[in-house]
Amino acid sequence: MADGALPGGPASEPPGERCPSGIEALDNILGGGFPRGHLVLVAGSVGTGKTTLTLEFLVRGAERGERSLFLSVTEASSKLRQNLSTFEFFRPELVSSGRLVFVDIPVVYEKLGLDHEELTLEEIDLLIRAIQGLVTELKISRLVIDSLTSVCYRIRREERIRDFMLKLSQVLADLNCTTLLVSEIGQASGRFSLHGVEEAIVDGVILLGNTRRQGDIIRVLQIIKMRGTSHSRAQYVVELTPIGLLMAPHLKGGRQEGM
Amino acid sequence: MAPDGDIGERLRALSGGSAVALRLDPHEYADHYFAALAATLRDLGPDSSSMTIYVSVTNPASLVWSLAQALDVTADRLWFVDAISHIMMNYRDPLPNATYIESPRMLEDMMLRVEYLLRKYPSPHPTVVIDSVNSLAIHNPPDLLSEFFHILLNNLKSRQVLTALLVVSDDTTSALDQMLALVVDETIDLGRRG
Repeated sequence: MADGALPGGPASEPPGERCPSGIEALDNILGGGFPRGHLVLVAGSVGTGKTTLTLEFLVRGAERGERSLFLSVTEASSKLRQNLSTFEFFRPELVSSGRLVFVDIPVVYEKLGLDHEELTLEEIDLLIRAIQGLVTELKISRLVIDSLTSVCYRIRREERIRDFMLKLSQVLADLNCTTLLVSEIGQASGRFSLHGVEEAIVDGVILLGNTRRQGDIIRVLQIIKMRGTSHSRAQYVVELTPIGLLMAPHLKGGRQEGM
Repeated sequence: MAPDGDIGERLRALSGGSAVALRLDPHEYADHYFAALAATLRDLGPDSSSMTIYVSVTNPASLVWSLAQALDVTADRLWFVDAISHIMMNYRDPLPNATYIESPRMLEDMMLRVEYLLRKYPSPHPTVVIDSVNSLAIHNPPDLLSEFFHILLNNLKSRQVLTALLVVSDDTTSALDQMLALVVDETIDLGRRG
């Protein structure tokens, strides 16, 4: 720690470029944004706002002039582009100018001839090289893969998933590309990814979920880990609005919760 | 007793970022409630440059809106965060200038809707009216309510938003009074005007 720096204070942040998510409250609790070039898992069960958060990250980035790429596995990118119009800050020029690009991974699979149900080691390498090629050619500095879970379904074996994650992490870090990986998890799975391997390799984990108070469902967000940053560990209530994702502290009212 | 306009004058004299409790006498509730509405909605704003966000927990926004119209308040810069219509199953004809929350227990949603309106409609002198502390206390435990007011009012203070909390006197617990004493900068007792 630098002389005179206080733990948790601004001077205690290690140096390093930040990639602001553009979501003001999230950037505040991350100390300015994601560490540039990091791989971050956005985990949550269905309907918790994972895709919306990642889309906003890309749109805000494209607005700043950063080239942004959405690799879609589960949903057709045409449908995703339609959803963008719900953001008041979205401008169609971002897509037409090529600053915001959508690619369907099934199309990539097809082009690469990856037609096996379970990907072989060679096919996994092909996929990583294809992602690397897209990021390099399009000069991408923000990437989203939605979802990592669907990709890992085709890799299946834990040791191969570990290998895939390590290589992907290395390739994207070398390209200084900040990446959000969407991870679909069950309500009470106790982990943040399909096999548990993924969360150990990534630099950060953001957890989105639902919690209850007196029967009411509340949508919450929590930063579980974020290497290279002294982030907040508190839980926040989130609301997805046309002006973007808004966050407020989750009120506890003196309640103590077990770990 | 001073005319109602005096309350508006006292509110206008407060600096941006202040939090004020407007205490209503339960024995003169109707008169005091109307006076509080006149002061916050008509006398204080909305004028050409200000916006008022009215958080209604006691009465549905539609009712408050009809009273506001009787005071010649226009809809241009008045927004409602209605936290009671849903729970009263009274959500048939939503107002165009209102956003609805499912229950008065969803305190974070109240904070977020206020935040949303402040961001979407930036104004140099915004006002937030919370109607009322008593109604919120019916639906929420004291610890949670204290935390809510502490966070909300500090947030609004930092953004120079004037906040008026409507409180029905004699209808509050000592814990609620203590909490209010901690979070508000001034109290205007409508039963002791003049």
